[in-house]
Amino acid sequence: MAKHRIMGLFRDFEEAFNAIAELRDRRVPGLGVDDVTLISPIEHPEIEEVLGERPSHVPKFTLCGALFGMTFGFLFLSSAQATFLVQPQGGKPVVPLPTNIVLTYEMLILFGVLFTVISFIITARLLRKRNSLYSENVSVDQVGIEMSLNDNQLEPVRQLFKRHKVLEIREEVVR
Amino acid sequence: MSLRNLLENWGDYRKGREQGGHHKYEHMWGMAIDLNLCIGCNACSVACYAENNLAVVGKEKFEKGHALHWMRVERYWDEPNLGEARVSEYQVHGASFVPTNCQNCNAATCEPVCPVAATYHTPDGLNAQVYNRCIGSRYCSNNCPYRLRYFNFWSYYESSWPAPLHMQLNPDLTVRDKGVMEKCTFCVQRIRAAKDKAKMENRVVAEGGVVNVGDQPFKVAPGRAKVQDMEFQTACQQTCPTSAISFGDMLNPDSQVSKLWRSHQVELGKTSQKKPNPELRGYRLLEELNTDPRVMFLERVREV
Amino acid sequence: MQTKDINEDIKWAQINKDVLRSMENPRMGYWIAVAMCVAMVGVALTAEILQYTTGMGNAKNWPHMWNLYIATFIFWIGMSHSGTLLSAILHIIRSDWRKPIYRFAEAMTTFSLMTAGLFPVIHVGRLWNIYWTLPYVSDRGIWPNFRSPLIWDAFAVFTYLTSSALFLFIGMIPDLAICRDNAKGWRKKLYTALSLGWRGDDRQWRNFRKTYLLMACFLIPLAVSVHSIVSSDFAMSIMPGWHVTTFPPYFVAGALYSGCAAIITLFICLRYFFRFEEYMTIPILEKTCKLTFAIAMVWTYLNLIEFASVWYGHNAAEKELLIAKFTGPYSPFFWAMLFFGSVLPFTLAFEKLRRHIPTMFVVSLLLNVGMWLERWMIVSPTLSMGYHPIAFDVMWPTMVSWAIVFGSFGWFGLLFLVFVKIFPSISMYEVKEMVYHRRRVARDEQAHVFHRRTGDHPSSGTATPGLEGA
Repeated sequence: MAKHRIMGLFRDFEEAFNAIAELRDRRVPGLGVDDVTLISPIEHPEIEEVLGERPSHVPKFTLCGALFGMTFGFLFLSSAQATFLVQPQGGKPVVPLPTNIVLTYEMLILFGVLFTVISFIITARLLRKRNSLYSENVSVDQVGIEMSLNDNQLEPVRQLFKRHKVLEIREEVVR
Repeated sequence: MSLRNLLENWGDYRKGREQGGHHKYEHMWGMAIDLNLCIGCNACSVACYAENNLAVVGKEKFEKGHALHWMRVERYWDEPNLGEARVSEYQVHGASFVPTNCQNCNAATCEPVCPVAATYHTPDGLNAQVYNRCIGSRYCSNNCPYRLRYFNFWSYYESSWPAPLHMQLNPDLTVRDKGVMEKCTFCVQRIRAAKDKAKMENRVVAEGGVVNVGDQPFKVAPGRAKVQDMEFQTACQQTCPTSAISFGDMLNPDSQVSKLWRSHQVELGKTSQKKPNPELRGYRLLEELNTDPRVMFLERVREV
Repeated sequence: MQTKDINEDIKWAQINKDVLRSMENPRMGYWIAVAMCVAMVGVALTAEILQYTTGMGNAKNWPHMWNLYIATFIFWIGMSHSGTLLSAILHIIRSDWRKPIYRFAEAMTTFSLMTAGLFPVIHVGRLWNIYWTLPYVSDRGIWPNFRSPLIWDAFAVFTYLTSSALFLFIGMIPDLAICRDNAKGWRKKLYTALSLGWRGDDRQWRNFRKTYLLMACFLIPLAVSVHSIVSSDFAMSIMPGWHVTTFPPYFVAGALYSGCAAIITLFICLRYFFRFEEYMTIPILEKTCKLTFAIAMVWTYLNLIEFASVWYGHNAAEKELLIAKFTGPYSPFFWAMLFFGSVLPFTLAFEKLRRHIPTMFVVSLLLNVGMWLERWMIVSPTLSMGYHPIAFDVMWPTMVSWAIVFGSFGWFGLLFLVFVKIFPSISMYEVKEMVYHRRRVARDEQAHVFHRRTGDHPSSGTATPGLEGA
């Protein structure tokens, strides 16, 4: 049984929304909303009403980055100063806390930002090849629904898309 | 870069000057300048030029403020708007001279602001400038309330000592290139020579410990050279015709400088000195800024 | 009279077309501007080569160890701040009118930081050794002095440049995907690489929003800390007129002020040259002007606070310096700064003037002149009048330093000109969002119908605005 991937393009978000809502109500056997991907030109947080809550793991990475930056920053600076003992400066201690707090703060933000960006690339699954179903119309104003299907589900889904005035259907067989 | 070192010595590394610090001293060179004796002859300044290879910049650059006079004799005239009772056109009444060199502050404002740590405190208590490390951000000069740091705006060596004048350069220290900050070193080359000589002759203080200057304790390093008072002189001190300048080790209670500081009741680590009687003429420049300078001036007494 | 921030019925294809059009086929005027900027950079480069080979005496004297370079450094750092303000703060408080104008403001942030970063390098005496300020592991165990505010500057500017460039880039990814889908040739390759394979699925959008929000949260305190740190170059010193407790907020306010003024200038330029009247509308300009006015008043207040605290603090040196600022050799510039900074912004309080574009163009330029003067008036009078009377000296900047300051504007202009032709200077996807949401709020009746069709109960939360009432 071959696996298929199908994408339907809709004129606007409302129509795509309705199509997914109908899918969710199990009009197609064996197909749930978890397999559905919405492809849109702008963000639609309201899609979670039908797709269910899908969490984002970026904040966890951010927290790790910030904590790492803070500890690394402080320990790096302090231990560097503690090896540089020939340098008594202006009657200040070897490890001056006010200074190190300023720089630790900067390192916290630097690593927080870097971890956030890296986690974004990982969690959003960027840096991968786009599949052939991608339509350039999505970057203008159309909304796509993409899902993976079995042979027997293909026709009902096509019918469902057509009921919701689909503009274009693209399919491919996944090996 | 070792965490262990940091954690083990944490308490020690967190001590500032007030708690004795982490730093162990070998000497603490200090100066006293008696303005009563100063006649404003500028000989100290000239001696400094000769000793320390200071570039002679010429009239035009001097006017622009590009001169490097580590020891400069500041001349002030009495002015009625500054509250002087009488204005005189004669120097004996109206002018005062302040020979100022680097004050070698114990809490130097120039030190913590240097981005590359090119200026720091040596175990001799000197406020040292490392020419090789200096990148010329000039923050130290901006933050020096005395404005006693000078910058090599040009490559002076190219034109300051036309032949055969370059033969008179002092071989004990370098000629500085452009882009480097410099200032009075208390004739560090002479200090170095004296210390080496003392060590060669086995004049060494074996034990370390704590030496009190006034009521401020200073940790001292064991095995430091025992340089006798007046064993050597700085160039300005040597040249001064009236012996207005005294120089010596302040950790040595018997040195001339220590005696002068004590007799005028000027103490390190204070932001103002008590003056119970007018005989005590000692003061330090801008000590209310808590820079803790190690050059003491003795006020000039004038007939009114 | 235009009253809406944006026309809600604009076609999305039109948005794409208008913005993409601005990126292609540079006209003659563009090349003339590029040539001018290159010439300005050339002048600065010549001056810099002269200074490099002969010495800093071309630009400075004792005791004026810092002068135009540091003043201009603060100016450019300051200008970088309102890109963050406009984009991060307004993003967090959900002011959607930022959407058409934040992209170029962020670009301005990044480029003015890239300009600012040059100045500390230009100003040091031995710039071939500038890498000694970096905290690298050396076999001699030598480190930079982390106590120095200049090192804090290096850390802060590096962090800010990295973060704001990433913020600009991350916010641009969906737009780069649009560019990719419409480009040919080398541009196609460039945008394919830069858009990181973006296709706009719900996973990407979800994480994108989270990332963007988190970065905005980081950037706001970062921006405040960066200019506070720059102010500590002065506030941490001991000199009268620099050792001022109110400097950090004063600098931050001044930074936001000059940045907002620069945003107005660039807003008007882009609107005029790229015919962005549909997106950079008069109401948005008006909102930016109001923001600038508010910040100008904060800046004025902090100025007065500084005067008052010096006056009542009664420190002789500081008081004398303050009097010298008002009456001394620098007084024409000081009064000009007060006029441009505190009086001129009152033009922004009048609706007629706010809506008049040529007036706003001139005013915004003059505000920035005032802010540049402010930085100069922070740096120079203190150097001319410190504690030690022997070192009281007034110095007028030399031609070499003027040339380098002049050239920095060319450098900034050049970067910006390259940017507007390679990257979209209006955020297409966010304008679409703005249009979409405004249209939806306008039609809440339809939203109700729309919601009911999903089979949910109307009162089950996740509501569209205006739903319960329908």
